[in-house]
Amino acid sequence: MRREDIRPLLYQAADRLPEPDLADTAWAGGLETRRRQRRNVVIGLLAALALAVVLAIGAGVSGSRNAELVPPPTTPSLPPGHVPPEGQIAGIDYWLAPPAGSERFLDRVYTPLGDRLGAPDDVDSLTEHPIENPAALMLEERNGRYDALLLGGDSTWARADLQLAPISSGSPLSSGAVSPDGRTAAFPQPGELVTLDVVTAEVSRYPLPTRDLRSVAWTPDAQQVLVSGPGKAYRVHVRGGDGEQSVVAIPPSANPASITAPFRIERDAVLRYRGNGEWAVDSELDLPVRTWVGQTFSTYTMTARLFVSDDLQQVPTKASQPQVVAAISTLRALPSSLLVLGEADRSTPAMDPQDVRQPGCCAVLGWYDDYKPVIQVRGWLLAWDVRSGRVQRVTELAVDGVALGPGIRP
Amino acid sequence: MEKSVDPDFASYVDARQGRWLRTAYLVYGDLERAEEALLHAFTRLSLHWTKVDDPDAFVQRVLYQPALVRWNRVRAFPDEDDPVKLALAELTGAQRAVFVLLHLEELTEFEVADVLNMSHTTVHGHGLAAFSRFRAALGAGDWRDAGDPR
Repeated sequence: MRREDIRPLLYQAADRLPEPDLADTAWAGGLETRRRQRRNVVIGLLAALALAVVLAIGAGVSGSRNAELVPPPTTPSLPPGHVPPEGQIAGIDYWLAPPAGSERFLDRVYTPLGDRLGAPDDVDSLTEHPIENPAALMLEERNGRYDALLLGGDSTWARADLQLAPISSGSPLSSGAVSPDGRTAAFPQPGELVTLDVVTAEVSRYPLPTRDLRSVAWTPDAQQVLVSGPGKAYRVHVRGGDGEQSVVAIPPSANPASITAPFRIERDAVLRYRGNGEWAVDSELDLPVRTWVGQTFSTYTMTARLFVSDDLQQVPTKASQPQVVAAISTLRALPSSLLVLGEADRSTPAMDPQDVRQPGCCAVLGWYDDYKPVIQVRGWLLAWDVRSGRVQRVTELAVDGVALGPGIRP
Repeated sequence: MEKSVDPDFASYVDARQGRWLRTAYLVYGDLERAEEALLHAFTRLSLHWTKVDDPDAFVQRVLYQPALVRWNRVRAFPDEDDPVKLALAELTGAQRAVFVLLHLEELTEFEVADVLNMSHTTVHGHGLAAFSRFRAALGAGDWRDAGDPR
């Protein structure tokens, strides 16, 4: 047998096979295969996604379990610029304020008040230039009367068409004159309460039965003003008081500036204002207070007022009485803090005797934010961070008195 | 991929399916397996119809690969009494594929090596062994006497 004989043999062996017709079947099979491939890809992607979700949930569950069991490796960080407290007075941490004369060199808090707050030269009328969000209110004396000057959040001034008479304590400006919403300013006047709408420049007068009125304070809803004089106090509805008696007598205080809401610090206790015009004891205080000075100002969590202390063992003074800013927490979980306005060492050669902080020089004027009360310290406004203890300067005061409004906040 | 069959693909399959079915039948030794393998090869070709440069080589590579599996113990040409088929049944799958492609398709040893993904030496060895066993099975004597006419 030769090789060329094989081909006929193979042809013969494969003869008489049926003729196939595979084109349509093969094409249909290709379509089915392609469909199956796509379906497998989709199923694979879904399976991978489900696996990833299961793994993520498992990691989260195991992670949270670890978080419960394993303490964090580092201790909580302190606020920026934290200053350790000097010690404790009556169980409350206290810090020492920078000595008198050093205010100029403190870091500054930037506010619409600028670097130096003085009487402006060029002022528009309030009717022409409404102030939407006042940052400060001050009075300018002219011919025995007082003009109200308003500083807006955009650092522009406006003069109200309002002539205020002096009261028995002098200037009719209270620290709490500006309402919490910044819409209205209130002034005690002999025998009446005067309010000024800072947007419309509208003036309203509310006659009161007592002539000697010295202090005003707003309730947090900005609807009522608490007006007080020595041994007399009234609650006056200035807005939204329809159907209620406009003027109601409330329990007074010997110090007119003590009448504030929603808290007032007095008589070794923090008192909470109640809707019926009375105050209830919120917490007891055991501080070495000789007298409280100025009004009480509050945030949602803290309330602050300044007091003149008896001699403090912790902070001895020679030329003056120590004054202390008490920032008392109204939440049990938060700590209270004290800032002692002491005096510089008398042996310091550069010590100016005029820099001594005498009682009455200083008072709390409001809050810059939830944790920084603004304090008037002689010719300066300072901001004290109650969490870190850091003291910063707000502005230098070239006026006798100022009341702060909500526009001072960032 | 269109749902209706591509006319070019249909023409291509119609022109080759008869010849390749005979070849596959002799390689696999079973008509059903041969049809199944040929349908599988054409189905694979349909998936790549517009992208394949040499469709013949593509189909032949797919068509004969299953016949080369060594652990395939399916006997070829069962229940046959044709001596040629019985002689082919004596060969291994690889020998039968090489033998049929060399002598029926008349491919060169290099072309067979390319189709079956073997070396030329392997193809040559399978060809000699297959020829010798085929001749012996048909009672034609040793392959070294192949040049002598009988």
